[in-house]
Parts: sequence; structure tokens; C-alpha cells
Amino acid sequence: MKSFWSKSGLYGLLALLSAASILLFKNAARTQETVTIKVLMQALEAAQWEPLVEEFEAQNPDIDLEIVEGPNATNLVEDLYTSSFLLGDSPYDLVYMDIVWTPKFAAAGWLADLSDRVSDESLGQFLPGDVNGGRYNGNLYRIPFRSDAGMLYYRQDLLAQAGYQPPQTTQELMAISQDLQDRDVVEWGYVWQGKQYEGLAAMFVEVLHGFGGFWIDPDTKEVGLDGEGAIAGVEFLRETIDSGVSPGGVTTYQEEETRRFFQNGTTLFLRNWPYVWRFANEDGSQIAGKVAIKPMVAAPGESSGATQGGWGLGMVKTTEHPDEAWRVIEFITSEAAQKQFVLATGYVPSRRSLFTDPQIVAEYSHYPQLLQVQETAVLRPPIAQYAQASDILQRYLSAALTDRITPEEAMEAAADETRRLLGTN
Amino acid sequence: MTQNTINSKSQDDREEKFSIRNLIFPFSVALVVLFSLAPILWQFLTSVKTNDAIVALPNVYFPSPNQLTLSHYTELFERRPFFSYMLNSAFVSLTSTILCLTLGSPAAYALARLRIKGENVILAIVLVITLFPYILLFLGLLELVKATGLGNNFLALIIPYTAINLPLTILVMRSFFQQLPRDLEDSARVDGYNTVQMLQKIVLPMTLPALATTGILTFIFAWNEFIFALTFITLEDLKTIPVAAAQIGGSSVFEIPYGTIAAATVLGTFPLVVLVLFFQKKIVQGLTAGAVKG
Amino acid sequence: MTQDTIRNREQKTGWLLVTPALIVLLLVYAYPILRAFWLSFFAQNLGTQLQPEFAGLANYGRMMGDSRFWQSLWNTTIFTFVALAFELTLGMGVALVLNRAFRGRGFVRTIAILPWALPTAIMALAWTWIFNDQYGILNDILLRLGLIQEGINWLGNPTLAMIAVITADVWKTTSFVSILLLAGLQSISGDLYEAHAIEGATPWQSFRQITLPLLMPQILIAALFRFAQSFGVFDLVQVMTGGGPAGSTEMVSLYIYATVRRYLDFGYGAALVVVTFIILVAVVAIAFYLLGKVRKSAGVEL
Repeated sequence: MKSFWSKSGLYGLLALLSAASILLFKNAARTQETVTIKVLMQALEAAQWEPLVEEFEAQNPDIDLEIVEGPNATNLVEDLYTSSFLLGDSPYDLVYMDIVWTPKFAAAGWLADLSDRVSDESLGQFLPGDVNGGRYNGNLYRIPFRSDAGMLYYRQDLLAQAGYQPPQTTQELMAISQDLQDRDVVEWGYVWQGKQYEGLAAMFVEVLHGFGGFWIDPDTKEVGLDGEGAIAGVEFLRETIDSGVSPGGVTTYQEEETRRFFQNGTTLFLRNWPYVWRFANEDGSQIAGKVAIKPMVAAPGESSGATQGGWGLGMVKTTEHPDEAWRVIEFITSEAAQKQFVLATGYVPSRRSLFTDPQIVAEYSHYPQLLQVQETAVLRPPIAQYAQASDILQRYLSAALTDRITPEEAMEAAADETRRLLGTN
Repeated sequence: MTQNTINSKSQDDREEKFSIRNLIFPFSVALVVLFSLAPILWQFLTSVKTNDAIVALPNVYFPSPNQLTLSHYTELFERRPFFSYMLNSAFVSLTSTILCLTLGSPAAYALARLRIKGENVILAIVLVITLFPYILLFLGLLELVKATGLGNNFLALIIPYTAINLPLTILVMRSFFQQLPRDLEDSARVDGYNTVQMLQKIVLPMTLPALATTGILTFIFAWNEFIFALTFITLEDLKTIPVAAAQIGGSSVFEIPYGTIAAATVLGTFPLVVLVLFFQKKIVQGLTAGAVKG
Repeated sequence: MTQDTIRNREQKTGWLLVTPALIVLLLVYAYPILRAFWLSFFAQNLGTQLQPEFAGLANYGRMMGDSRFWQSLWNTTIFTFVALAFELTLGMGVALVLNRAFRGRGFVRTIAILPWALPTAIMALAWTWIFNDQYGILNDILLRLGLIQEGINWLGNPTLAMIAVITADVWKTTSFVSILLLAGLQSISGDLYEAHAIEGATPWQSFRQITLPLLMPQILIAALFRFAQSFGVFDLVQVMTGGGPAGSTEMVSLYIYATVRRYLDFGYGAALVVVTFIILVAVVAIAFYLLGKVRKSAGVEL
């Protein structure tokens, strides 16, 4: 027993010493002459940022841009940012954020208002959806870097063979699907993301818009989930399953599952994000060169909408170096940096001019069409409690899609709960 | 199984010849061992297999020599500060263990030996709070951590870990003190020691075994704690093992690093396996004293 | 010195020794709970810029209509009771095995404690791997035995995911139950069984008539501890499923955690804490009452 105690005492001392040295070391590292600007992001993307960081530091020797690698799951990165703000002084100067985090972080008072730093004219060069996604209560909290939007992928070759034009309405989509399914040209008509997760809410925003409905009005806090359009939208999704146009499994699919369905050539239409293009057209893909994109279908007489996604930079309110942080934002979101990044990675730019940039179009021929999709962008409700509202919608939508309750019941309950959340019932 | 094991003695007398019944017992022992070890073993085997062997179908159970690799372990140390995770866990657990024993033993002694008003109330409270799940405390502690600016500071873990282990320490140490012969202390008093001196010179040396028992339990609980460590520490360099390991799980979009996760599991559990191997008896003692006798 | 001053000094020393521990306990236990009670009457969320605004019973009213809360409560109840039933049964079995003298018993006991001692969050990773739909060993075994034709997506199906987390929890905590029961078994005198056997009782009858009643206090204590721990289960489920798929394994603790950390809804989170606390205290009070009765009727001093 004696030796046990002396040993653990020794280890304890060792541990204390090493912890002390870690702390000392950290303080020593802090006192350098250059200003360090820190930002946290997914490890995967941090690697892709490396050339940008090098170039920035070459141009700005007085700033050390430090990218902190986080987990690759975006919700874990959000948690890390949230915790570091909740615990007091944030160790970061910039926030690299998903468009849906903006209202939450802004409402919590963690972000600096950037309105005064940027002119309307220079904002006008960005896609409007991306800019609006960075606004909350009239202030601007996020400058867009890369964009994202949902759209309809279709098999150009099969539609041309059968003599169809790409569908504009949900009815056309159903009719074409059923016809080509009857003729055994394809096994499935349309695949979409129906699993209970954020992707379901994102997909449903397009359906809602296409049926003339709305989710939450950010200004009046009015909830439209039990409106006619919303219920009709859910019925349409159910109809795709009931009629066999979509496989029953869509209610458990995320993006990747649906992409595989589409890519193995058995499916005519796919709802997905821009990343699919590269996979669909890569060497060895069964559908390479046979795919086209267009804005999402809508009910007759309604306009189509594309759910706006994407990432941008916000500034931490308590940062000690706002000017240096702003220089990072300016550089990263600049046309030159975006172009370099897009060419290297195939992500979607947030500046309109880059969609028709000759060099980019030479590399990605579909970007002009992509711009059309991006122009129809619709925001998920930019309200502070978006995460909760989305979870409520996902639960009830999923219940309706899996036939546990009717679309009306589901949407009424979802609307009720959302109103209670917003305090507007 | 049950029938067979209770009164083994009388049964052995009655049935001397070989029968199925005699096989049931060894079989149950084997089952207990397999049940307890299988998940750990599988994790260990996964951690030393090459990635190809990990995703081979049907599964490779025991890797052949060319399927063996230590790369998952080296990756932990090269790509992540795994050594500092271990150090952090060790530091936090040890410190809170020491603190817990320092605060808990005197309290236990007072509750065992001295007459204090409200003793029963204190005991009842201590007993009941052993049952509180940590989730009930996390919201209030979050506010405290924020108010005191202790975020990303080990104290934000050490203080709660000390507190959540205090009830067990008090209960175990109290039952130990009650078993100590009173004569010793009485004669010490006669010799003119005051309470504190007596504790230091006479009681403390005798309590070392009991301190070890509770210390081991405290250490285990502190090493394993997850929810506070997940919330109060956000800096990579300050994370403890359970949180760091759990976050490797969600760390890759396209490919989940099964081998690395397995290696992290093995390394994160290793110190505890050693503890259990050496101190099995003490752990059992401590747990039964804490739960049953309290 | 008079008797009184000695008493007084004893009081003083006693409190001196108890106070430091009490302060830490009050800080870490009492403050958060009381704070939750207070905060549960306020709206403090993103809608109020994270500033507390008095809201009366609004949070509790919202809880009534919050189907997610009720589902998480239901999930927790199912999880707790199913896990508890298996842990008590298996724990009893293991204790009976370990109570018998055999060669290498010390070693087997050591191994049997292991699952309890290992970090839950880390072992949850191990179980996630076992239940993996593509490369999991469980599917592999079932396939080899010909019980299934293709791999099952354990953690992707609501019912199966619940079974998976319960299995992992049972594995993790059966050893705790068996340790407690073993201590009880060892205190039962062997003479009782011998006398009973002479009267012609079968082993099963001995178990029912001697072991179970005499072990009842330990069984209740083990059940009480396990109830409280499973009711607040967090690490295991958070790591294995995160509450999914589709909220089918979302326990109250996970909902509280999400409400506070993801939604930043502190007022509502506090109300959830309060309700969970009250449920827990109510069950514990009932358990203590039962325990008192059993102790009395068993006539054993513990």
C-alpha cells in the first residue's frame, strides 16, 4: 500500500508539473508581434483552405491567420462555437458559419454587426439569397463565401428519347415519371431526402414555396405550416410514394442514398445539392454526360424555389482585433480568392460574376444554369429559434410521410407547436 | 443455472456421477467471462487490423500477420494530441480524487464519531444526492462556470468531480470509521491530543486502506465522466479522453476511421483495466460499503 | 472541563470538519437545482436575447403540449424498466455464479467488474461498432448462423436502436448489480440452505424461499441506484445514437441537453430539469418507503 501511495503521489506531481508547463507555454506563445486571427472549421475544409491562408499571410505579414481544425460533422462544429461563446470569452475571432446559424448566433449577441464595413454596392455583387441569409433584424452579420442551393437533376438523355421537355410543374414530373416507369425505361421516377433530419426541412422549404405556402414569416412570426399550400405540399410528397414514383425508402434517405439511386441509372429525377454534379459526371459514372439541372418544380401557377445553403464568415463581437479580422473576411470573400477556391474544389461561389467567368465555365460547364437555380433561392426562416422550429417540422413531417398521421393532422400539430415556441398562439 | 449454484454443496453430495448439470456451471462461468470481455476484445482486435481487414466481408476475426498494424495507434499520437488527452484525464482525475479525500474523510469522521446536531439530515441528504443524474446539474453549473470565467479551465471539471464523488467518499469512509476501535482515540485523548492532532497521528495511518478504496472509485468516476467535460472544455488541448474519443467518431464525412476509434477505445480504457486488475477487491468493497451500508 | 463544554467543542469540531465538504456539495448540487426551479418561471432564450423575462408558468404550459417531451419521457421509461429488468435478472445470475467456490474465481470476478469500470462514452463507441450495419460483428455472427439473410441496420431502425442501446447499457451495468447482490449473498448463512435441503426442498424452492427474501434489501438498493442512473442516462445514448433515428432513442436527458446547448432555451430547459427532478424524487421516495418495509419484515439490520 505504501508503494501505491508514493507512486501515485509521484505521478500526481508529474501531472501537476506538466500541466503547469503547458499553461506557461501557452502564455509565452501568446506574446508575439503579429496579430493572430483564429477561426474554427471542419478539418476537411481546413485542408482545402490552406492555399488561401498561405496567400493571405504572404500579402499580410502582420496577421497570422490560424485555422483551428474541428470535427467534420457540422453540428459538432456548431456545438463547439456555441460552447465557447456560452463559456464566456471566445477563443476565436471569426466564425465560419452555415447560413442557418446566423440568426441564432446574432440573436445571442455573439456576432459583430458588419453593416458599416461594407457598401450596398459591393454587397450587390453577391447572390441576394446569400446576403439576405447573413442579415438578422436589419443588421448584417455574415459575409458569404461559398453558396449552395437545392435543385432538380434530371436525365436529359431519357427525356429527349421519350420526347419530353424538362418538367416545370409537379404534375408534369409525376406524369413523365409514371410514363417512363410504365415503359420500363427507369425503375423509379423521383428520389428526394425524406429522413428525419435537417435535410428534410431544407427539401420541404422548396416544396412549400412551390405550393405557395410558407413556414414562418420572420417579421410577424406568423406560422403558415397549417395553410393550404403547406398541406398540399405534404400530400404531393406522400403521393410520390403512394404512386410508386418514389421508392418507399425515401423516408429514410439522406443526400448520399438518393445520389446513389440516381447515379446507378435507375432513377429519372433527383432533388439534391450542387455537389452531385461532380460525382454524376466523374469517370466511370453510369450517367456521365447524361445529366442536366434546373430549378425545382412547382405547382401550376406557382414559382419555384431553391433552398439557400452555404457558408460565410462572421466576426466575433468580443474580438480584440476587429480590423484585422475584417481584412481576413475581405480577402477570403474576394473575387480572386473565391475563384481560386472554386477552381480547386468545385464548390459554388457566392459572387454572381464567377458563375459566368470563362475559366470557371471551362472547368464547370453547368455553372450558368446553376446561376439560374441560385437566383430562385429561398431562405429557411431566419429566426433565432430556427433549430427548434426545424426539429418540430421534421418530426411531424416525418410522421406524415411514413403514414403515421395524416398530412392535415401533422401540419396542424406542427403549426401549433411552432406557435407555442414563438409565443404567438 | 440458478438452481445449481445456490446450494452447490448439498448438490455435490447428492449427485456424484457425471451429468449435464455438472456441465452447466462451467458453462455459466464461461458465459460470464465471454459476456464481459467480448466487446473489449473485439475492439482490441479491430484496433490492430489494417483498414482492409476491418472492412473485409465476411469479418476477419483474428487478423493474419500481414493484416496486423499499429498505424491506428501511431495516428492517434501523430494527428491528434492524444498524449495530452491522457495527461489531462490523469491530472483532472488525480486532483479531484485527492481533493475529494481531503474534504470527505474529515466529514466522514465527524459523522461517524462526533455528535453533531442535524447529523441525520446531513446523512440523508448525502444519501439522496448520490442518486442525482448529472444532467440535472449541468444547466446550473454552466451558469456558474460562465460567471466565474472557468470555461476551458480544469477547475471547471475538478470541482464538480470532487462534489459528485463526495457522497460516496463520505459513506464509505464513515462506515470504515465506525468499525475502528474507539479505544485508540480515547487513549489518544488521554495523551492530550486534540481532535485534529489525533486524526493526523493516529487515525490517518490506519485509514490508508480505506482511503485507497474510495480513492480508486473516485478516480474511476472522474476518469469516465462525460457530460461536464463535453460542455465546459472546448479547446482541443484540454479535452479529456472520453470526450476526445467520442469526437473522433464524428470526425470524417466520407470515411469513418473505425480503426482509429478502436485504438482510442483501447488506450482510453487501458488505465482502468489495469486499475481493476490490481484493485478488484477494493473496488468491490468500496461499492458495497457505499451502496449497501449507507 | 464540564460535560457541556466538551459537548460544545465536539459540536464545533464536528461542524468544522463537515463544513468544507458541505460547501462543495451545496455549490455543485443545491445551487443548480434551486437555480433551475427559479429559472423555470422565466423565459430566457433566443427570443429574449438570452435575458431572463418573467413568464409565470408558461414553460410548464408549453411542456404539456410538447409531444417531444412526452415521447422522450416515454423512451426513458421504456429504457429504464427494460434495462432494469434484464440487469437484475442477469446480475442475479452472475452473482450466483460468482458466489460459488471454484478455481480462478478471483480472476473471473475481476473480469466481471470490468464493464462497470470502463468509461461509458468510450464503450458506447465499441457498441456502435458491434452494431455497425456493414462491418459489425453482430450482423456477421447472425449471418454465419443463418439467422438473417442480409445485414440489419441496427442503429437505423427505431425499435432496433432502442434494443441496441438497452443491450449496451445492460452489458455496462450488470456487473454493478452483481457486485451488490454478491455482497448480500455472502452474508446469507449456508446452514439455512442445508436445513432447507434436508426438509426436501428443491434448489429452486430454496432460491425462492431463502435467497430472494433475504436478498430483497440488496435487490431494492441495486434497483434504486440503477433506476436513478438509467433515468438520467446520457453518455451511452448520446454517443451511440444521439437520440435518433427520428427521436426514437431520445431520452429526457438528451432533450434537456439539446434544449440548453443547441436551442439556448434556458428557461424551458430549467423547467425540464425541474420536472425530471420531481419524477426522480417521487420514485426514490416510494423506493425508500418500500425498502423500509422490506427491512422491517426481513428483520435484518443492514
